[in-house]
Amino acid sequence: MIDYFALALGHGLMAIALLRLVLRADLDADPLIGQLKADTAENRMAASSAGRNAARRAKAGKEAADT
Amino acid sequence: MLDLVFLAFIFFILLLGLKRPFLWVLLYVYIDILAPQRIGYSLITSLPVSLIAFAAAFGGWLVLDRKEGGRFSVRQGLMLALLVYCWWTTGHADFPEEAATKWDWVWKALLFAIFLPFTLTTRARIEALALMLVLTVATIVIGTGMKTILGGGGYQNLKFFVNDNSGIYESSTLATVAIGLIPMIWWFTRHGTVFRPHWLVTAFAVALTFACLLVPVGTEARTGLLCIAALGVLLLRYTKRRIMFIAGAGVLGLAALPFLPQSYYERMATLAEPGGDESASTRVAVWEWTLDYVAEKPTGGGFDAYRSNSFTYVMPVKQVDGNTTTVTYQQVEDKGRAFHSSFFELLGEQGWPGLIIWLSLHALGLWQMERIYRRWKGAEAEAEAWIAPFAASLQMGALIYLVGATFQGIGYQPVMLMLVGLQIGLASYCARIDSAQSLHQRSERRRAVIDDKLRGAVAA
Repeated sequence: MIDYFALALGHGLMAIALLRLVLRADLDADPLIGQLKADTAENRMAASSAGRNAARRAKAGKEAADT
Repeated sequence: MLDLVFLAFIFFILLLGLKRPFLWVLLYVYIDILAPQRIGYSLITSLPVSLIAFAAAFGGWLVLDRKEGGRFSVRQGLMLALLVYCWWTTGHADFPEEAATKWDWVWKALLFAIFLPFTLTTRARIEALALMLVLTVATIVIGTGMKTILGGGGYQNLKFFVNDNSGIYESSTLATVAIGLIPMIWWFTRHGTVFRPHWLVTAFAVALTFACLLVPVGTEARTGLLCIAALGVLLLRYTKRRIMFIAGAGVLGLAALPFLPQSYYERMATLAEPGGDESASTRVAVWEWTLDYVAEKPTGGGFDAYRSNSFTYVMPVKQVDGNTTTVTYQQVEDKGRAFHSSFFELLGEQGWPGLIIWLSLHALGLWQMERIYRRWKGAEAEAEAWIAPFAASLQMGALIYLVGATFQGIGYQPVMLMLVGLQIGLASYCARIDSAQSLHQRSERRRAVIDDKLRGAVAA
């Protein structure tokens, strides 16, 4: 009886935990590291002249398309 | 019926793993610790569930995982060296057949521990593995604790799910693992994200801690008592009100005394007088024998090398006859006594090279956890605040394991090797955050400089 209770409780909790885990995107991609990398890439883009030129071209292109 | 439930549970995880293959790693952890194939009676015993889980875990990682940030660390290298060395000594073992039997599970445990850190690439995964470890051990511990309260127990009397003294189902091993996991259980009450901090989680942690503390009582494993003492000493470091803590622990200990069975007192009393107990006095004899053995054979005798030992020694034998108790000293002969200590187990089986690798593996782990604790202590952001307490709980777990390991041959215990894997995973994860943060800071500085220049140019 005790054995069945312990097995049921343990497996029940594990099943809930696994169900919650399967729905979490951060299980496969870490949000903290992902955010840091994205911010770094953005800074690099802004700091490089090529990146700035690309941004300017994109802006100019958009303005030309609007008019 | 039970078999079907186990199989349904395993199938359930296999199915969930199709979406997130990391769950297959957790499935292997569950099967390796709880061994449902040995609890069941019919169908499940004939299926190679452990092999299926390992194949799924490894295959899933190889084919489907992003494998982002996985790196091969020094400690994985040490385990690999130990694995290769064990393979070599098995080929030259004193007892080839017995050595092959032990090799059969040791290589799996070591290989899985080497593999595990590659999969632990995110915070959620690190927590998921810790949670699975705790819940699987909890399943065993809850049953043991309840039986201790309701049905007494006793040394080698308490029935587990599996009663063949193997793996974690050996009383002293279970006691060590259960006590070692207590700090981690409490980590979940503050930093858990799968089960968020809630009064229900805290209530479960209280009950589970109580059950863990009952394991050494129920099984009357003396090593467990030492592990509890070690836990108490270690917790002192992290307690703000130390005097209160010592007083509280003392009161709690005294309050527990009347509830302990008489047989427990008798067994614990032998801790103080090793001469009066065969299990304790042979320990010292086996350790001396091991030192002599490696003096002749420094590279070790392969697994189960202890089988060639035999000693005679004088031991007091008590005889009770009515009201009189006579103690006579008799010569006792003992053969093939196990090492009863992981340090001597490694030394006898793998010689000095094996012991040095094993010691460096654990010493490096303790140092690494200490470094991580100091580095992240005081971090307040939610994404970082969990790291220092987690490192502390892993370090305490490792120290408690080493205390327990001093008196039992659990040098290759799979659960402990998984904890080593978890430590390595945490260290790699922290190193990745550090490197991402330093790159980020550098890019911030550069951007600020360029922005300043641009602003200057526009103003001019």
